[in-house]
Amino acid sequence: MLSLLLAAALAGLPAQQADRESTLKAASAAMAGGRRDEARQLLRDAGTRFGSVRALLLLARMQSTEGDAAGALETLRAARKLAPNSEDVLNAMAQVSLAAKSPLSAILTLQALTRLCPSVAQYQYLLGVALVRAGDMPAASDALARADALEPDHPLTLMALGLVDTQQKRYDEAKTALARSLELDSDNVEARAALAEAEAGLDDIASAERDASRALAADARNARANLVIGMVRATQERYAEARDALLASSTADPQSPKVDYQLSLVYARLGDQAAAKHHLDMYQQKLRAAEAELKALHDAGVGGAVRK
Amino acid sequence: MIARALPLAIAVCAVAWMQAPPRPGSGQAPTLFRDIARDAGITFQHHAAPEKKFIVESMSGGVAMFDYDNDGRPDLYFVDSLTVETASRPESARSALYRNLGNGKFQDVTDKSGLGHPGWGMGVCTADVDGDGWQDVYVTALGGNHLYMNKRDGTFADATESAGLRVGGWSAGCGFADYDRDGRLDLFVSRYVKVDLTHLPEFGKDKTCEYRGIAVQCGPRGLQGEGDFLFHNDGNGKFTDVSEKAGVSDPRGYFGLGIAWFDFNDDGWPDLYVANDSTANFLYVNQKDGTFKEQAFPLGVAVSEDGAEQGSMGVTLGDYDHSGRFSLFVTNFSEEYNALYHNDASHFSDVSFKSRTAPSSLPYVGWGDAFIDYDNDTWPDVIVVNGHVYPQLDKVKLGASAGYRQRKLLYHNRGDGTFEEVAARYGPVLMDERVSRGLAAGDLDDDGGIDVVINDLDGSPQILHNELSPRGGWIIVKLTGKAPNTDAIGAVITVTTGTTRQRAVVQSGTSYLSQNDMRQHFGLGAATTVDSIEVLWPDGTTSRQTGVKPNQVMTVRQ
Repeated sequence: MLSLLLAAALAGLPAQQADRESTLKAASAAMAGGRRDEARQLLRDAGTRFGSVRALLLLARMQSTEGDAAGALETLRAARKLAPNSEDVLNAMAQVSLAAKSPLSAILTLQALTRLCPSVAQYQYLLGVALVRAGDMPAASDALARADALEPDHPLTLMALGLVDTQQKRYDEAKTALARSLELDSDNVEARAALAEAEAGLDDIASAERDASRALAADARNARANLVIGMVRATQERYAEARDALLASSTADPQSPKVDYQLSLVYARLGDQAAAKHHLDMYQQKLRAAEAELKALHDAGVGGAVRK
Repeated sequence: MIARALPLAIAVCAVAWMQAPPRPGSGQAPTLFRDIARDAGITFQHHAAPEKKFIVESMSGGVAMFDYDNDGRPDLYFVDSLTVETASRPESARSALYRNLGNGKFQDVTDKSGLGHPGWGMGVCTADVDGDGWQDVYVTALGGNHLYMNKRDGTFADATESAGLRVGGWSAGCGFADYDRDGRLDLFVSRYVKVDLTHLPEFGKDKTCEYRGIAVQCGPRGLQGEGDFLFHNDGNGKFTDVSEKAGVSDPRGYFGLGIAWFDFNDDGWPDLYVANDSTANFLYVNQKDGTFKEQAFPLGVAVSEDGAEQGSMGVTLGDYDHSGRFSLFVTNFSEEYNALYHNDASHFSDVSFKSRTAPSSLPYVGWGDAFIDYDNDTWPDVIVVNGHVYPQLDKVKLGASAGYRQRKLLYHNRGDGTFEEVAARYGPVLMDERVSRGLAAGDLDDDGGIDVVINDLDGSPQILHNELSPRGGWIIVKLTGKAPNTDAIGAVITVTTGTTRQRAVVQSGTSYLSQNDMRQHFGLGAATTVDSIEVLWPDGTTSRQTGVKPNQVMTVRQ
């Protein structure tokens, strides 16, 4: 009985492989010809009928580039069922999760990936980024430090480390990492703005203003640079200028509770109590939303470095 | 042994004083504080379960420095706590009253005093509640607070029930102030978390009871908080709960701990700051009609500069920059920062990083704190005691956080709006790692050096006697107000030497659940005379003394 089953399977395999290959070829042709609906269907068929992980990865890439992050994640979950330890699948899942602003999914995936491939700096870096997005700075710091140890002097890792240090108020360390990041890539506006923030934290206001201004010269909408200018102007009691900079920061980063908190203070100093209350309410809503995200992270068994 | 004051020697020292504190590498560490607890006869031990599996075992206890027997010397009262295991045996905890004998020794007078067993003690504040000229004691606790009335013979009578001050639940901070300016001292009590000792949240039961991947006690987040109380002193030995009417009941149940009464805006009416753990802090602004308006957010003292709610524990206030206004120093959880909120008259600014007090505080969980001019240079410095809440931390990689036992922080005021953390310069006493909670400050022996008393969780207290030499001149001002507010709680003292004006306020309840000596200590630097001492009394009247000799304890009567 067993030999009969084996024979049947062996006999059927080349035909199935041929079907899968022809389906993938047809999908490629459809994509090349701009027939995206047809390509999607063919890739889906290849995934479901033939268990082709490659087809599902291609489909997820299509969905992701088309802005369908939820669809891409669904496709990648199917791929992960077929190949739970595939580095390609996990990597794709992590990147799509990050792009879809689903830090929890990204973290869980990256934790698996970093266990599978502990010496790949990029995965540690991505895990750090995901943890930053989730608000778990101590864990992010650990992951980024591992990335930095595996691949020193990578400007993006250094920038992320600087951002995490800034978030944790370790401004000296942040300044060192960010300055080095900018030595390696002087055009990085976000790193420049982050350096300004660290300098402001060190009460080096002149340097903070200089670097924030440089960042704004490259990108006038930069949220972090505008936040730095806003907070500096507030300490200088130039509240109208502070308000304008903070509003620009809020426009660029509407999810930031910090900006709304600072705006509530500045409006209170300007005597506009209604606007102060509005931004205080916004701040509190965003704070609760951020806390809910962090709680979801904890509930899912991730993080845990923050006091409950 | 504590030496009694030698004014001539101190005056000579004062002339030589004006120098920066010694730097590392300049030779042997100079002595600033010496722990004299054992030599002084202090045998008190605070009790707490070693593993701190429940939050109720991590938060006690306060310490009071007050003159219970009116002999002119500050005495000491340490608050003890029970544990979950000993909760049914209140006698297991013994709070302790020590009489200052004046020769560097203290005598345990607990049994005679009747202050030994307030139950699961948390904090303490003192005030002359009935205006008889003798300080009474209020002890906050888990399960019922106590008002102990001073019977003027070394004993106290528990008047909690008759006064209407039996607060249930879990009380923490307390402080008396005359919020409605009727001449009588009213009482505010902060409360922390709602707990049922028979249904405590299980240690490490889920992800909300973990810290860096290890099982720890649960809370305060995830637990229900409790509201606060304001009691109006009716003047007949009774108090009335006016919390809701006054607008300070905290219906959302934030996790209240340290408190400070002070008139932040100089309008003559006491305002109230409440440090809340893991939730926004409160600043209740007195509306002069028996009510308060909570204004911490618009005034800039609710949260961190990022808008993050911090784990606030202790609070102290001082005119650290000679601006004439009282700024706030709030201790917080680790990986947060101790917050210095500068009083800008109409609002506050978070100057924690600008003042350089914040960075060194990040690894520590801060509790008791005080502005103390330890070197008598006229600039109030800051001392903070630390200690984590999770003993389990010592078993794991800690990252940025220090371990369970933690050193103290001493911030030297540089006189330019910034501070320098200098604890390491002064030898092992401040660097010794402990699990500290309450802190009270005052000059125990009238030698002009401000001393610090600390209540450690689950351990022996410290009495840090100030032995810095040389240090500047000094004056201690003791106020005697009109009855019933005989300690002049709420009075503001302004001491002027040349162009230097220092201010201090007489407070009941401050730091972390503790009570400072109500006499106010001022460092005078090299000044050879105090040009004036002005007192703004709680009733709005003023008095002024001129040409006062330094290096003495001076009593000013209303």
